[in-house]
Amino acid sequence: MKRDSGRRRVFRIPFSRRGLDRDVDAELRFHLEGRIEELMAMGMSRDEASVEARQRFGDLDSHRRELRAIDEEMQKMRQRLEFTDTVGRELKYAVRTLGRSRTFAAMAFVTLALGLGAAMAIFTILDAVVLRPLPYAHGDRLVALSSPVPGIKAAPVWGLARHEMYYFKRESHTLEDLGIYRTELATLTGDGGATQPERAPAAYVSASLFGVLGIVPERGRLLNPDDNLRATDTLDAALMSHGLWERRYAGDTTIVGKRIDLDGYPVTVVGVLPPSAQLPDYKVDLWLPLDMNPASPARSNHIFSVIGRMRRGVDIANAQRELTALTARFPTAFPNVYTPKMMEGTGFTTLVKSLRDDVVGSLVTKSIWILFAAVIVVLLIAAANVANLFLVRVETRRLEAAVRSAIGASRGALAVHSLAESLVLTGMAALGAIGVAWAGLHFLVALAPSDLPRLDEVHLGWTGFAFTIVCALVAGITLGLLPSLRGQVDLAMLREGGRGSTGAPRRLATRNILVTSQMALALILLTAAGLLVRSLRNLRGVHPGFDPTNVMTMSLSLPNGRYRSPQIANAFFEQLAARVRALPGVLSVGFGGALPLESSELCTGAVVDVPGPSGERSDCVQMMQVTPGYFETLRIPLRGHAPDWPENDRGGASAVVSEAFANRFWPNEDAINRGVKCCNGMPPFYRISGVTGPVRTHGLDRSPGQVVYFPMIPFARNPGIEGLPLFMRLVVRTAAGMSNSVLPAIRRAVNEIDPQVPISDIAPMEQLLAQSLARRSFTMMLLAAAAALALVLSAVGIYGVISYVVAQRRSEIGIRMALGARAEDVRGMVVRQSLVLAGIGVLIGLACALATTRVLGALLFGVSPNDPLVLICATLLLVILATVASYAPAVRASRVDPVEALRG
Amino acid sequence: MASIPDLDLLRGTLDLLVLKTLSWGPMHGLAVLHQIEDVTGQRLQIEEGALYPALHRMEQRGWLDAEWGYTERNRKAKFYCLTAVGRRRLTAELLKWSRYTEAVGLLLAHEGAR
Repeated sequence: MKRDSGRRRVFRIPFSRRGLDRDVDAELRFHLEGRIEELMAMGMSRDEASVEARQRFGDLDSHRRELRAIDEEMQKMRQRLEFTDTVGRELKYAVRTLGRSRTFAAMAFVTLALGLGAAMAIFTILDAVVLRPLPYAHGDRLVALSSPVPGIKAAPVWGLARHEMYYFKRESHTLEDLGIYRTELATLTGDGGATQPERAPAAYVSASLFGVLGIVPERGRLLNPDDNLRATDTLDAALMSHGLWERRYAGDTTIVGKRIDLDGYPVTVVGVLPPSAQLPDYKVDLWLPLDMNPASPARSNHIFSVIGRMRRGVDIANAQRELTALTARFPTAFPNVYTPKMMEGTGFTTLVKSLRDDVVGSLVTKSIWILFAAVIVVLLIAAANVANLFLVRVETRRLEAAVRSAIGASRGALAVHSLAESLVLTGMAALGAIGVAWAGLHFLVALAPSDLPRLDEVHLGWTGFAFTIVCALVAGITLGLLPSLRGQVDLAMLREGGRGSTGAPRRLATRNILVTSQMALALILLTAAGLLVRSLRNLRGVHPGFDPTNVMTMSLSLPNGRYRSPQIANAFFEQLAARVRALPGVLSVGFGGALPLESSELCTGAVVDVPGPSGERSDCVQMMQVTPGYFETLRIPLRGHAPDWPENDRGGASAVVSEAFANRFWPNEDAINRGVKCCNGMPPFYRISGVTGPVRTHGLDRSPGQVVYFPMIPFARNPGIEGLPLFMRLVVRTAAGMSNSVLPAIRRAVNEIDPQVPISDIAPMEQLLAQSLARRSFTMMLLAAAAALALVLSAVGIYGVISYVVAQRRSEIGIRMALGARAEDVRGMVVRQSLVLAGIGVLIGLACALATTRVLGALLFGVSPNDPLVLICATLLLVILATVASYAPAVRASRVDPVEALRG
Repeated sequence: MASIPDLDLLRGTLDLLVLKTLSWGPMHGLAVLHQIEDVTGQRLQIEEGALYPALHRMEQRGWLDAEWGYTERNRKAKFYCLTAVGRRRLTAELLKWSRYTEAVGLLLAHEGAR
């Protein structure tokens, strides 16, 4: 093997340690022998000469050791040099050859960069949202507790009650500590008129929560158990987030100890939290003490979120076993709240879940995994295309390979060349992918539904880079080894002058397999995207039960410091309604405790007027206060009538129920003039005056809910109800196109009646409707984008293969045409070939799609995972694509000049 | 031999001597010794044991290239020759040496202020 002189010595220096030793010994022996001979020539005896020579040389052993050490070091250095040299040379050569075939390099680069970039972007989201632990110290030891009650279908999961937290805290050995909280919106009123009133997300928490989450204050102190105790009488301590402190109080360093106005009451600021301190699922600005006292009697108030920290070494299964056992003792520990019958009837238990799973939610996790799978499929299709490009290149370079092989390049050396080339390519593609992912992430984050958890934690990071590098390496090595897997270099080529066709059938087979797999993968993606498109269309087709057009909504909340009776609150809303109603362009106005689609899962029992001593208790009914005008404004169809303002003022006790509620209790009768009691069955007793049409209260994909709409004043007086109607959603129906222009006037009206009332959540009803579909639309759009990319790439793939086939069969086609085949026949033949490939791919794809689309599960609505229409459309699309992609090569084939083809 | 008057070698001079010697052509270690002794009329005596580490170090630095070959008496010996780097090194060392001796000469020739 010829090598240039600069590197020759490496091979002369022995590689083994023993070889090095022999070298040193031989050199020294030669020296001593030479000296001895000289000395003998001068007349010494051999023995004398030998002694003299050694003496002159000095300490032979130590010199020998020194020489060995130098040589070993030298050898290591040279091996390193040789290695980097080889790598550098191969890479330089690879860059040069790639530079010579720019089209190939560019196509492979773009395809891989897109595929890798898409995968990197989605992986980054997957990592940030699903895989990475929550940003708390030892976040993997945090668990969320909840109480599933499968027996109550309408509200199958409850929160925990305060006494349960204390009980677990006392009895559990697996949990180190527990914290409890509930989130709410608080109103920051004017601070003496100095600032605008503002709604601030707040958490009412137990002092223990800070320890569980490992939160420390930036200034001042945290809340303590005393604050929790005092909060039962009055709220007098508040802790604020870093964000609120900077934004509203301009980072006032003397804030601790100052008073702020909360819902009209003065509250002392005890501390400020660092920017990183937040609840896992909800960003809050105010941390307020939850009213709690370990000595209070147990109450059935299962509305709190509970986070526990497991002891070191405990896993979730252990904790679950223990809490299940503890929960079973509830009827003994708290007989006033739990009876064995209730426990059995509802299936009441306590569920331990990792906090991360609880925050992210199974549907989100699932959607992101599905998208990840989709981009991996796209990446595979892209890689298949690039593999095809590489194979084409191998064809065109067979002569070069044969020549190199003939002059002595080993198969290994050829493999190294091809590996270097593919690694350079995939390396560059990985760099490009970082750019694609960066741009893609910006786009995705801007597009993602705002309620996607942990969205603010999505950043390009090391894990994303590592993922991309691993993918690029795998792709690079696979693609690089592809040509050498394809058997012996064909020396016969040299004889044939580079026109040989030996081995072509096998090469073609590989390419056919690649293209059918692409088709199959693309079909799976298409089917999945199609199913989601249909689901979304079905959802959009669902009638929400109200008319969202030209309706503007916003939230108003009255500071409870000054609105202490239902009459005062009612007067505010009535006055505001009158003023807004009088605005030009306004058709009607109303207030309600909640809007359709956004109704919380919170539900209470209602007692209805049916035969029997105490009436029948409903399982789960949503209770809502509404003012006159609510139904009219939302155009919710109403049979009978809703209470009007005078009736409301008088305290007339009539209520409106939803169709679902009416049908549940009076399936074949008229509900109007029947009666309903609230909550725990306390008086007053409401006469049902109207029944609404079916309103999608819980979302378009849920059946219309059971709702009882109460008028404001009598409801607020009800002893079973806590709190006044201070937080209301305002709905205004305007003339077409006037929705936004009435906003300033509404603001002015609110400000004139009471400048301390904040307005928030301003949004057209149509936007809320769209938002309720946001998560599904997001998944669908990304999946559709992945499917589109897969389609394009598959088209490129099939185009490449058919072009190749046409080129291979030029002479055969020439013969056919010489024998009288018409151009159409030839075109048909080529297109048929493409369709055979597509057909096989589609068949495999259909089988895979049938097997895999089931994972879409809860993302689908009103469509079966095996929906024939979607499957047929996807199949047709692919078949059309295969036809179109093969058309250009087919035309080229039909233009083959028989004479030329036969001669050439 | 012990009777021959020898000069103690200045530190760092050995490299220069070896480089210069090898500039006349490739030779093995013993030949390098002989050349130095012959040309200097036996005035400079190199410590034999120190020569080989110096040769190997210079080889490691890339100043010398080594190759096994045969002597005129047909013995296998390790021959050293200058590389291009070694040649440049020699030029640089020579320049340094001549400047040094010039400076020392100037100082020694000076009679001092009266």
